[in-house]
Amino acid sequence: MRAGAIALALPLVFALAGCGRLPGSKAEADSPARPEDVLDFHTLYNTNCQACHGADGHNGPAMELGNPEYQALVDDATLRKWISGGMPGTEMPAFAQSAGGMLTDAQITAIIAGMRKEWSKPNVFAGAAPPPYAQDQTGDVQRGQQTYQARCASCHEKPSRQQVTSPAYLTLVGDQALRTIIIAGRSDIGQPDWAHDNPKGAPGASLSAQDVTDIVTYLGSLRSPAAVSAAPLPISPRRRP
Amino acid sequence: MSDQNDSQQRTEPDIETASEQASDREGPAVVSRRWLLLKAGIALNGLVGLALAVPVVRYLLAPVRKDSSYKSWVSLGDANSFPVGETRLVSFKNPWTQPWDGQTDNVAAYVRREGASQFTVFAINCAHLGCPVRWFPQSQLFMCPCHGGVYYADGSRASGPPERGLFTYDYKIAGGQLQIDAGQMPSLSNTAKLVNISSPATNSGRNGDCGCRG
Amino acid sequence: MPGMKQTGKRIYDWFEQRLQVEDPIKDAVLHKVPRNTASWWYVFGSAAFTLLMLQIVTGILLALVYVPSAAEAWNSLNILNHQVPLGWFLRAVHGWGSNFMVAVVFIHMAQVFLFGAYKFPRELTWTVGVFLLLMTLGMAFTGQVLRFDQDAYWGLGIGVFILSRVPWMGGGLVHLLLGGPTIAGATLSRFFALHVFVIPGTLLFLALVHVWMVIKLGINEWPMPGRLVRKSTYIAEYNQLTHEDGIPFVPGAFWKDLIFSAAVLAAVGVCAAVFGPSGPGGQPDPSITQTVPKPDFPFLWIYAVLSYLPPSMETPFILIAPIVMIAGLLAVPFVASEGEKSWHRRPVAVLALATIAVGWGVFTHLAMSTPWSPHMSAWSADTLPVEYLREATPLVRQGAVIFQAKQCRNCHSIGGHGGERGPALDAVATRMTPDQMRYKVVTGGGNMPAYGKNLSPAEIEALVSFLETLHPKGEPPAFDASQQAAQSNAVPAGGSNTP
Repeated sequence: MRAGAIALALPLVFALAGCGRLPGSKAEADSPARPEDVLDFHTLYNTNCQACHGADGHNGPAMELGNPEYQALVDDATLRKWISGGMPGTEMPAFAQSAGGMLTDAQITAIIAGMRKEWSKPNVFAGAAPPPYAQDQTGDVQRGQQTYQARCASCHEKPSRQQVTSPAYLTLVGDQALRTIIIAGRSDIGQPDWAHDNPKGAPGASLSAQDVTDIVTYLGSLRSPAAVSAAPLPISPRRRP
Repeated sequence: MSDQNDSQQRTEPDIETASEQASDREGPAVVSRRWLLLKAGIALNGLVGLALAVPVVRYLLAPVRKDSSYKSWVSLGDANSFPVGETRLVSFKNPWTQPWDGQTDNVAAYVRREGASQFTVFAINCAHLGCPVRWFPQSQLFMCPCHGGVYYADGSRASGPPERGLFTYDYKIAGGQLQIDAGQMPSLSNTAKLVNISSPATNSGRNGDCGCRG
Repeated sequence: MPGMKQTGKRIYDWFEQRLQVEDPIKDAVLHKVPRNTASWWYVFGSAAFTLLMLQIVTGILLALVYVPSAAEAWNSLNILNHQVPLGWFLRAVHGWGSNFMVAVVFIHMAQVFLFGAYKFPRELTWTVGVFLLLMTLGMAFTGQVLRFDQDAYWGLGIGVFILSRVPWMGGGLVHLLLGGPTIAGATLSRFFALHVFVIPGTLLFLALVHVWMVIKLGINEWPMPGRLVRKSTYIAEYNQLTHEDGIPFVPGAFWKDLIFSAAVLAAVGVCAAVFGPSGPGGQPDPSITQTVPKPDFPFLWIYAVLSYLPPSMETPFILIAPIVMIAGLLAVPFVASEGEKSWHRRPVAVLALATIAVGWGVFTHLAMSTPWSPHMSAWSADTLPVEYLREATPLVRQGAVIFQAKQCRNCHSIGGHGGERGPALDAVATRMTPDQMRYKVVTGGGNMPAYGKNLSPAEIEALVSFLETLHPKGEPPAFDASQQAAQSNAVPAGGSNTP
């Protein structure tokens, strides 16, 4: 007890004697860095990425970066490409200063390294080889439709739920994004990866690389910006003064 | 001179008291000389003061100069480094500097390239109260952090308190370099000129506070 | 011992014979004041003077290290904060001393106003006091500039833009203020001169004149309802009051001044030790656009007012309002130099003071949260509540991405995070039909930019489908009643009534 009291009292005495430890004293780390000197992954991720990709990489509206399968699927160069220059066909903006964004190359390196450190897991595919990240075959619409009906429709064709065939949706996501999500899945919202077509996680027959390419090709064929733009402005502008 | 006069009189205290008493009763004859000398002393001081004040005022007003004498052409780099259709943040060294300016001589501007040789160079200062606006390429808007002024990509006012669009710099392309006429913090007092010289394409878009450009 | 006392007396006398200050000091110290002015309400003036002394002392101490050069000022402040032992504490005391001084000066002024102390013969005391207030605010502003960080830089920028609105001479005034065409080295040097020589010198001189008049004219008696001030009789009445019911200023009233001043100094010290110095914020580099400038506490209300002015009022208000305010303050003792002093019989004065105090409080409070400013990083930093997306379809999810990526979040909050410039959208679907949302997004209006050119039809569809889902559970989304009626009519009529 006495030792505890002394242990408690000592810092207090030191604090009073030292004055440098008063609550108002400033630590060197408090002094503001130039925005381009911020290299802490969490600060960078929380200010630049998490609004779309979710706190800690999960549950955001955009791609689940915290999914270890995603981290295993995408290589550093590709990540750098998307972060720096944005991802064409999606809302992912360009963050590199060279492309009109706010981040330096060193900061982008820090983000990539941080993601790997936080979210990568070894041997996440358990020996199975996923279809390659980049499409390397040509797809077939007909086959894709059949595969889609057989493997995806049971969830995605439920009325008013998860309809990925909406032309507006398909206009807003590129083929690569579709492909990535089919392969890596989204563990946070119950989208299975390529190896499990059962959302509960029970093993099903894996999709082959060709299957994935076919489905993406089929979905791509439904993409029709013209169909979306047909929607007219509903209220007559003359209501405005 | 007046000091001498004073000390002379102090050596004769009797006379002084006598004359002081006299000044109350007697006529101005005795008094006037002393008062005249006092007035002369004041006038002399006034004159010297005025002579000294002229250089002081000139010194104080030294920074008040014509805008054009502060400005000169500054290069923002290779004109082709700006992609067509995009807006980029650039920074340059202020042409009017002192060695002890430190970081304050970094000035930023937004360069918007509309065509092969069509540019608009915006000052980063919000037209409301001069805070630095930020460009958001996704929504194609400039937003001001201070009082919420928002501008469209062409610099025209979108919403918020500003009365006008963003200020622009005069520009030219010389030897492949994009150059702007800079050197002065843009503000409402010196930008009537800046507006005139901006390229006609941007003026057409600057239509006051109508937010209905859908 | 008696020998020492003798020596002491001899030394005192030697000095007194030459200085001859004993009598005037005795006069000042022992002059009689009305008994009821020995009140805790009368301690603010002396506290303000004490704080001025504190500011002068701490200011000189800071000047031992501070470098008044635009290139070095920011670094020297960081060295004060981190390397000079207790440099941070000195900065904190000077900064908190400034906050307290502004506050105490305002309280002092409100008390003098409420007690009618500015009336005859103390008009000039009030007038000098108004200038002391302006000087105090001038010190606060120039002090903010000397803390040469981003707030200082852009705060000066606001000053430039205000001055630049002056007709004809605006440009010249800006050059004069800045010492050149931009905020740079010359600017900091002249603000240093203002903060360290010009304003404090004037301030100290005026403060002494102010105190001189207080001593010469006597401290204002406690206002009594019905005891009117008349120029013809007041002096006699006051002299009678002090003679019949007066007590010597020292110690009768002065002990309260001493205790309150000590309390204020202690409060400054505690605040400095606990909350520490303010800033410096980011480097004064104008090419850093990731900054959200904000003025110091005494100017927050102005910052708020400036955001609420409609564009057409901007220039007239900025140019005329300060003149009207200062003229109004200066006019107070001349408009009402006679009459009632008691607040019981001065409803207009009390209401005016209350209105100003409440207005000041509201604007200062608003400026702390700046609901009019877009949150610059909300679009990339503020996450959406997970439950809002739990049932989301891919299109809705994509709409949420667009909501973030197109910076809608910078002005509209969801789940309590995001800008407050526009309305919070947590329940937007209960207020607007999808058609109305689509129209609003495309054409903007009110204070919203038009997004028609920046969003593709698919993006608008996705965005609206996301917004459609934003309604509380159990509260149905809004619908267009006329459209529904038209549709239900259309079925029996065979669709023939559609245009």
